[in-house]
Amino acid sequence: MPDTSPSTPTSPSGPRRALRLGICGPVGTGKSSLIALLCRELADDLRLGVVTNDIYTDEDARFLRSAGVLDPDRIRAVETGACPHTAIRDDITANLMAAEELEDDHGPLDLVLIESGGDNLTATFSPALVDVQVFLLDVAGGGDVARKGGPGIERADLLVINKTDLAPYVGVDHHQMVADASAARDGRPVVALSRLDPESVAELTGWVLRQLHDYAHGRLTPVDPGPMAPHVHAEEHSHDHEHPHGHTHDAQRA
Amino acid sequence: MRGPTTACPAARAAARADDRAAVPRELLLMLLADARLPVAGHTQSGGLEPAVRAGLSAAGVPAYLTARLDTVVAVEAGTAVVARHRLLAGRPLEPVVAAWAARTPAPALRAAARTQGRALARLAGRLWPGSPHLAALGTLDRPAPRAVVLGAVAAAAGLDACGLALLVAYDDLQTVAASALKLLPLDPAEATCWVHGALPAAVDLAAAYAGLTDPTDIPARSAPQTDLWAQLHDQTTRRLFRA
Repeated sequence: MPDTSPSTPTSPSGPRRALRLGICGPVGTGKSSLIALLCRELADDLRLGVVTNDIYTDEDARFLRSAGVLDPDRIRAVETGACPHTAIRDDITANLMAAEELEDDHGPLDLVLIESGGDNLTATFSPALVDVQVFLLDVAGGGDVARKGGPGIERADLLVINKTDLAPYVGVDHHQMVADASAARDGRPVVALSRLDPESVAELTGWVLRQLHDYAHGRLTPVDPGPMAPHVHAEEHSHDHEHPHGHTHDAQRA
Repeated sequence: MRGPTTACPAARAAARADDRAAVPRELLLMLLADARLPVAGHTQSGGLEPAVRAGLSAAGVPAYLTARLDTVVAVEAGTAVVARHRLLAGRPLEPVVAAWAARTPAPALRAAARTQGRALARLAGRLWPGSPHLAALGTLDRPAPRAVVLGAVAAAAGLDACGLALLVAYDDLQTVAASALKLLPLDPAEATCWVHGALPAAVDLAAAYAGLTDPTDIPARSAPQTDLWAQLHDQTTRRLFRA
């Protein structure tokens, strides 16, 4: 049936929809594992749904279903026609429909996690699809990646540097990686995550719960991380310029 | 400027009869046929992905395109045209959906068509808010397939039956050609040549079916190989395209 209402949290046609949390980052950084981790940690307290965007297979959806962390029907796979970037940014229709179908079939839900297809450092979610987004790197991808920057690394709502337990084995100083990322992110939060370190897991889930709290109180405004660098006046030094518009809520999110 | 320059002489009269057709027909068709239309078109290959997996090469794609026009696209175009007619005549859509389903035996293709229909209906609701023809889609007990939604879009937008049939045919040609660029190593100009070469067949298709008004007259052209490939594709765990 025609859905004439724009997909907004305050749609008058029905109850408030779930918070949509996007997770993107390069291939192999642990997006599916991060979602499995969040499901394990949060499924007892929150009503969850998951949408995966596989590039070539439904591997991620099958991985999550087989992980047993969620009712398999609450995990939906979206094909992207070899265009993972398009599906989360230019034409988000397939993902919006999958998120809506999840809520129609299992709603009301509190949180829908949307996993992007593994793409490159420039891929970020449209704020029309997700309310808040995580960009994921891992130490095994190289200690210099955080320094390279890009819209996701610099301006996603949260940057997670994953698999810190592997750092000694791949010759990466993950503390330096976090320091590089923090410098690139102008104060936006960074979590150094290892699934074997309960403290780091609590840091991650605490951040997610704060987003849910802010969303419930109408204090969450989706922010587009990119693709372009934010406007900075030429006369301003890059370290003390004002925050770009739309980031005034970061202090209460962090 | 209301579309008299087409193969379809009924276009001008049809457009004039509908006061809502303030947008020139040509522009409306360009809008609806544009690959940039946000209806998740990038998720579809028009069945080409399983065909390539089964051994179809680039050399076989032109024949594949015309085979589709003769079979599945004829069903889609006929369905769209009849749906448009029924809506403008104030008659229910259920018999059109039933006729379409009876002519689309592969469950995978019916499911993909309903998903595509939802995406299009979603967009159309924003483009033509308040249209009773789009609202009629919501009275069906399941999401309408894409062909029926296209019929409702034509009714809502004031697009004539011939233009609608041309749109269905052209969109299928471009869907297959665009996905071929992903699936087969190819000079993109070659794919556009295929589409260009198939345009006369698209005109023939529109001429043959634009006048349909009765669901029982929707062509029933079976394409068992297409159906079988679609079912196999639906079962595979490795695919780029939904269908």
